[in-house]
Amino acid sequence: MSVLPVLLLTLQVAAVATSLVLVPSTILGYALARWEFRGKRLLSALAGLPLVLPPTAVGFLLLRLLATRGPLGRDTLGFDLGIVLTWKGAVLGAGVMSIPLIVRTARVTFEGVDPRLETMARTLGFGPVATFFRVTLPMAGRGLLAAVILGFTRSLGEFGATVTLAGNIPGRTQTLASAIFSAQQVGDNGRADFLMAIALSVGLTAIVAAELLARPLSGGGR
Amino acid sequence: MTLPVLEVDVRLPLDHFDLEVKIATRRPVTGIFGSSGAGKTSLLEIVAGLRRGAAGRVTFGGEVWLDAASKCFRPPEHRDIGYVPQDGLLFPHLDVRENLLAGSGRAQRAGRQPEEDLAQVAELLELEPLLGRSVSTLSGGERQRVALGRALCSGARLLLLDEPLAALDLPLRRKLLPFLARVRHELTVPMLLVSHDPIEVQALCDEVIVLRRGAVIARGSPRKVLTDPEVFAVAGEESFENIFPGRFVRRSDGTSIVRLGSSIELVSLGGKGTEGEEVMVGVPATDVVIASERPRGLSARNVLPAKVLEVRTVDGCALVTAELADDVAPWTVEVAESTPEELGLVPGGNVFLVVKATSCRIYGRSSEPRP
Repeated sequence: MSVLPVLLLTLQVAAVATSLVLVPSTILGYALARWEFRGKRLLSALAGLPLVLPPTAVGFLLLRLLATRGPLGRDTLGFDLGIVLTWKGAVLGAGVMSIPLIVRTARVTFEGVDPRLETMARTLGFGPVATFFRVTLPMAGRGLLAAVILGFTRSLGEFGATVTLAGNIPGRTQTLASAIFSAQQVGDNGRADFLMAIALSVGLTAIVAAELLARPLSGGGR
Repeated sequence: MTLPVLEVDVRLPLDHFDLEVKIATRRPVTGIFGSSGAGKTSLLEIVAGLRRGAAGRVTFGGEVWLDAASKCFRPPEHRDIGYVPQDGLLFPHLDVRENLLAGSGRAQRAGRQPEEDLAQVAELLELEPLLGRSVSTLSGGERQRVALGRALCSGARLLLLDEPLAALDLPLRRKLLPFLARVRHELTVPMLLVSHDPIEVQALCDEVIVLRRGAVIARGSPRKVLTDPEVFAVAGEESFENIFPGRFVRRSDGTSIVRLGSSIELVSLGGKGTEGEEVMVGVPATDVVIASERPRGLSARNVLPAKVLEVRTVDGCALVTAELADDVAPWTVEVAESTPEELGLVPGGNVFLVVKATSCRIYGRSSEPRP
């Protein structure tokens, strides 16, 4: 089995997963950074849960939800979402696992934007929405880009939740991480080495980019 | 032209006392004076709409900005204000020009031409050389000028200045005073200026409201208010300093000549300046000697005939107010409590005010004031 389809599927899963969770996670990060509301701690804890749970547990929880008789299963909804054992399952697993990273990075980034600058924008005639898009977001831009890269990288390497939910079906749901596992299991060390090298270079590139983007943010506050 | 009336009648509990202020003003520049922690900034924030929870009413030009009774609250973005805080709060992701134009959307909706306003403001505040710069490269004084310019370019109908010079060191503060004075004279935007600096208040304000522990304790012209027995103590460690707008005439033999009004020339030891430059001249009330006859054989360079307007006893000393000319604000002189009686000073009497050249301080854009 060629490596290229595995790499392409991995990139596709990571890209879709990151795009899906990006906006909600950014909004959640902003809410946690700026607003006080009931249940804030609980929400913060829930958003961080995938970081501390075994990924297989997260995958299994999702599987339970989506199982035929689960709350989001065919028997309850009346139709099949078609997630379990498909590439969409891989997307869901990877997305959920990357939520904590994006939420946390976004939250820290927004906390780094001086709220008085938002106040200043209000006095210059900007409504709350315009203030967010023209002051907060541009100032948080680099940090949010770093959040995207972190989330994307996390999705690229997702294994536990993905394999539990989507399986490890060559050509359908097998990603880089699960392909390395399979190659190692069958003793194909050459293939595992090659896949590992690819994972290494993609991951390294992403993490260096994230570091570079995050640095000016912490250094030049004003 | 008549300016819109700002009416404030609010109450707000603060940490250690309640802020309770009832004022109405239509003056070009109204000062809010008081020591730190008196509630000045809170009052300004209520007017700006940046602080919620106040009871009472705020109206400007008949528009209701706050009416707690009917739960009416106009958000800050709909008050058409220009806000300048101590630290400027420039947007770090924009350059100077973009900062100046940050509020241009509102100015445009109000029918103004942002580019024209920008050109005018840049000239007024001498910002042209800074326009392309990143705000991180600006000095403290430059930042404050840009912050002021940004407020002016936003089509603001009311400027709210919260200690705009307080974060700067003293010489720089004095250098920026003339810029604020220019804004005051050349633009018709009313200002509310929060300050704890008596010199700033005198140089800029038409009327001053003095706050102590959240309450208005005095109100009136800066000169009258700052020499008020109640306020004199608030003004604190420094003695009262007379501040006059003037023009730099020339510099010769190590001294500078400054003209006040049309006829009074003062000799000062300090200060550089260019001919015709608008400056502020400061003369501390304690540095002026009163003579009942023209003195002779003195080293002091300034001997000025004047007419006594008023004699008041304040806080263990006497404050004598005397007029030099019709077009120069009266001088306030601080002398010992018994002096007026010994010299026979009465309103209407003729005296001479004697000031050493070293006691006349010049505050100008190009001059370093003497410490």
